[in-house]
Amino acid sequence: MGIASRPDVPRAIEKAVQELQSLLLDSTEEMNRVGKDFEDLAHRIDAILNLAAGVIGCVEDERVSSILPKVQTMGAAASNFIQERLQSSAGILRIVTTEAKSLAHLSQLTRSQRSIARETQMLSVLTNIEVARLGESGAGFEYLAHQLDDFSQSVAKDTIELSGHTEGRKTEIEETRRMLGIEAPRMREEFTRIETDLRDALAVVDHGLTELSETPARFRSCVEEISGQIAGVVAAVQANDITRQQLEHVCTALGLISDEIRDGDGDAPEAGCSLPRISAGLAIQIYQLKSIRATVDDWVSQIRSCMGGILKISSSEVKGIGPVVLDQERDLAQQLARIEAIEQECQANTAKVEKTFAALSTLMQLVSEHLEKSRSVRDRLQVLTFNSIIEASRLGTQADAILEISQSIKRISALWSEMTEQSGKVEEEILSLVEQARNGSGGAAQAGNDGLQEAQVEAKAGLDNLRAAAAFASRQALEIESRIGELQTQIAAAGSTGDRLDACFAQIDTVLREIEELRSQFESDSTGALDSREQADVEARLSPFYTTEIEREVMRAALCGAPLPVAQQIMAGNDVELF
Amino acid sequence: MKQILTVDDSSSIRQMVSFTLTKAGYQVAEAVDGRDGLAKAGQNKFDLIITDLNMPNMDGIQMITALRKLPSYHFTPILMLTTESQGEKKDEGRKAGATGWIVKPFKADQLIAVLQKLVK
Repeated sequence: MGIASRPDVPRAIEKAVQELQSLLLDSTEEMNRVGKDFEDLAHRIDAILNLAAGVIGCVEDERVSSILPKVQTMGAAASNFIQERLQSSAGILRIVTTEAKSLAHLSQLTRSQRSIARETQMLSVLTNIEVARLGESGAGFEYLAHQLDDFSQSVAKDTIELSGHTEGRKTEIEETRRMLGIEAPRMREEFTRIETDLRDALAVVDHGLTELSETPARFRSCVEEISGQIAGVVAAVQANDITRQQLEHVCTALGLISDEIRDGDGDAPEAGCSLPRISAGLAIQIYQLKSIRATVDDWVSQIRSCMGGILKISSSEVKGIGPVVLDQERDLAQQLARIEAIEQECQANTAKVEKTFAALSTLMQLVSEHLEKSRSVRDRLQVLTFNSIIEASRLGTQADAILEISQSIKRISALWSEMTEQSGKVEEEILSLVEQARNGSGGAAQAGNDGLQEAQVEAKAGLDNLRAAAAFASRQALEIESRIGELQTQIAAAGSTGDRLDACFAQIDTVLREIEELRSQFESDSTGALDSREQADVEARLSPFYTTEIEREVMRAALCGAPLPVAQQIMAGNDVELF
Repeated sequence: MKQILTVDDSSSIRQMVSFTLTKAGYQVAEAVDGRDGLAKAGQNKFDLIITDLNMPNMDGIQMITALRKLPSYHFTPILMLTTESQGEKKDEGRKAGATGWIVKPFKADQLIAVLQKLVK
């Protein structure tokens, strides 16, 4: 009995059709579930992305995005501040050494002035003696004696006072010189270390805030990636519909083949059905089933891969957004505190330096006062000289001693003038030192300090904004984490859907084996090949219900024995063609 | 909110069209075949219709031909969403009054872009 006459053959084909129809029902049900699960998942993703977008909104807010330039400004100000301190510490030893010389000179002058004061005192005594000796004729000179007396006491007092201060200052400056000789190199090292620490701290802040500022772009990239994955699932679910149609067409074709076997060849019923035609028909269905299997594998795996991709992006990048903000807030706070500590250390180191300069100003004041008095003394001495000479001339030969006294006053006056002039020069030297000190650690440094403080205030205000953003991010991050946990559970469940789909479509392999077995029996019973007329017949009979290009290509390949065409990559989806 | 009607005998296709367009801010109604689609279009005015070609009871070409006879749907954009890619079928669709043709599966962002152009 030929294969075409065996009653079990149509039954076997009909059984295969039933199996395929059962597969269609099961897979449709499964895909409906996949569709619903996917929609739910997409809504959850949207909610998570909205939470993350809230955090990004904070980061992009001008109050937070402007922190980096503020910190950079602060860093520059701090660096300048330290540079100025470094330079001033280099200049201080020079200034102190120069001050010591000026003081030595001043000290010498005050000693000379003290000796003049003593001499003047002696002259005052001598004048009193002469006035007593001259009696009434010396009455005019009495006032001169009082003047000299008064004068000598006042000068003595001033010069003792200045001498005391100068000597005290000398001791102090020597001590400062000794200390600075040891301290200055250490201070320079300290400032250099401080500068390095500051640079490191700013580098950390810079890196952190740059990472923070890149977060919005990373988030948008995540959103795009997730959109891509979602689009992948949408395309894959649609592909199921194409597969469904193809399977229906295979069922229809197998039904036609089964009818042909039962009924025989319509043109020549007495001859029975054409074995080559049946064999070709079965070969086409085998090719179609293989093509369908490959397509199903692709889109099921795409669904799995896209769901996995969504979870991966959500649970790494999206989940990480909140913690980035929190980390940056914590790091920035730490580094700003460190910078503040560095600045305080810097201020402490310069306090000693500024104490020295403060004393210099006091000395300057003292020297100015002394110079003022010295000039006044000089003027008085000149008047005394003049008056004493007049009185001496008036008294004539009676007042030789008075004349000598007046000559002494004149000499003293000249000496005093010279010393006053030299004191003036010392004052100028010290004034110049004060100016240098002020420029080194006074006005310019104060401006630098003000600039730094202003920059710190701005940076701290920025930090407060970042803190607020971090607090918000913290709340959002907790919510995101919780929702991602739910998402993970859901995607795990979707994973088992993929397994169920795999099991469903594995039925194709069973049907494929059955049809292949049948075909090989038809092949071995067949005596001739398919002629062109029969080929056209098979095409016309089995292809009118085809609705996809791939089905037509597969049919043509099956009829000429060509390799199975690879299903075109349609997973990304097709464009819209407008008429 | 703009109203879209999606007509397809496949529930998964209707679901994906609805999901994609709802996310983009459209309101989407569904019909299971050409007859159902014609009935729904008669009850509500839609701004755009997306229809399959091969459906039981009434196919897409028949539905478009009938819709174009209705005054309210003379100019409504109608897109065909089908597995067919043959030139003759496209011609048939164009002659019946289709505005555009998409071979399944559609690209979500592309579909939305086209809708934004056609429905203002």
